[in-house]
Amino acid sequence: MRSLLDFLVRHAHVFLFIFLETLSLILLFGLNDNQRIAFLTSANRLSGTFFEWRADAESYLGLKGENERLLKENALLRERLLSLSDSLELERVKMLSDEVFVLARVIDNSVRKDDNYITIDKGRSDGVVQGMGVFDSRGVVGVVNMAGSHYSVVLPVLNSRSSISCKVVGSQSIGFLEWRGGDPYSAILVDVPYHTAVSAGDTIVTSGFSSAFPENIPVGTVRSVEQHRMSYTLKVSVDLFVDMSDLRWVYVNSRKSDPELEELVGKH
Amino acid sequence: MTGLVLLQVLFLNRISLFGYVTPLFYLWFIVRFDSSMSRYSMLLWGFVTGLLIDVFTATPGLNATSSTLAAMIQPSVVKLFLAKERREVIIPGRNTMGTGPLAGYLFLMALVHHSAYFLLRSIPLEDWLVITAKIVLSTLLTFIAMLAVALSVEKSNQRRPA
Repeated sequence: MRSLLDFLVRHAHVFLFIFLETLSLILLFGLNDNQRIAFLTSANRLSGTFFEWRADAESYLGLKGENERLLKENALLRERLLSLSDSLELERVKMLSDEVFVLARVIDNSVRKDDNYITIDKGRSDGVVQGMGVFDSRGVVGVVNMAGSHYSVVLPVLNSRSSISCKVVGSQSIGFLEWRGGDPYSAILVDVPYHTAVSAGDTIVTSGFSSAFPENIPVGTVRSVEQHRMSYTLKVSVDLFVDMSDLRWVYVNSRKSDPELEELVGKH
Repeated sequence: MTGLVLLQVLFLNRISLFGYVTPLFYLWFIVRFDSSMSRYSMLLWGFVTGLLIDVFTATPGLNATSSTLAAMIQPSVVKLFLAKERREVIIPGRNTMGTGPLAGYLFLMALVHHSAYFLLRSIPLEDWLVITAKIVLSTLLTFIAMLAVALSVEKSNQRRPA
């Protein structure tokens, strides 16, 4: 009996080891996706501050490229302004004024993992809630997955759970933009109707069928088209416009969605 | 430790050579545990360090599991590479172990820790070639970094007047 006690006392740290490892493994495998996200957002309170520092420092390094991009965007917007002011319609302006874009800074980002997440520095207190679309001057980035009070986690296109309703420019056929891992510069448009006229080089934009994005936000260009004989749909490889590894400022589409539409869609 | 954790999460985690190799240099904190520490505090420190890294990288439990394992085996691995039983308190380093054994010690620690890390991370274990490459290359990178730091740290200690 004594020797057994001795043995237990001498090896008591083994129990601590087993306890800690069990705890870690529960964290690793026991958390379901929602708890995982909760861990992510609660962690954001702490890590958000640090990531913000790093983003601050890094933004200086990227100023030149950023400037160039903004100048280009400026030029493009001016051009559009000119052409639009010619054909200004009152109705159109009314509709646009409902769309409010919140400017947010990307403070953490990844592209190399199987499921990537982006953290931005705007949250519920800035009017950002779950389900809002996120894009930048180049195109679609992702959808807000979880909004904390001051930070939000965005599910980017580069996540296996991401699915965004898109269409081919010039046709009304829609498909869903998904990602199967690997190449961070391309994604796949699935469930495109068989008869859709689409070929390499065509532009893909958002469909506007979900409340996340307004219509016609650029997504990418078609790289190749594959026919799926079983389901009579097309599988379209898309080269994304947005270089996800180089994200600094993004817009969150915080347009109030129509409650009636939400209710109808929610009932599905 | 704070410095190491920040170094890891703010800079090192950004490194991903060829998409495979990520140095996990925070292991340095664990390999430098001195022999006067109780097994409990080693385990707890190992766990806390890993968990902190997890908080930043949104990988709950991944680093905690591997660094707790590293903290558990640390005293035995030190003993394995020490020429003879030592009574006094030692911090693993060149002065206490000699360069050769130190290198062996650091390599084995990195190998065990990184194997646990990348195996857990790659579940379901499908692509063995990639997993092995990740383990081997990252182990080498962390090992070289730790050895370089270990050697330079002791050099600067010697220069300091006693």
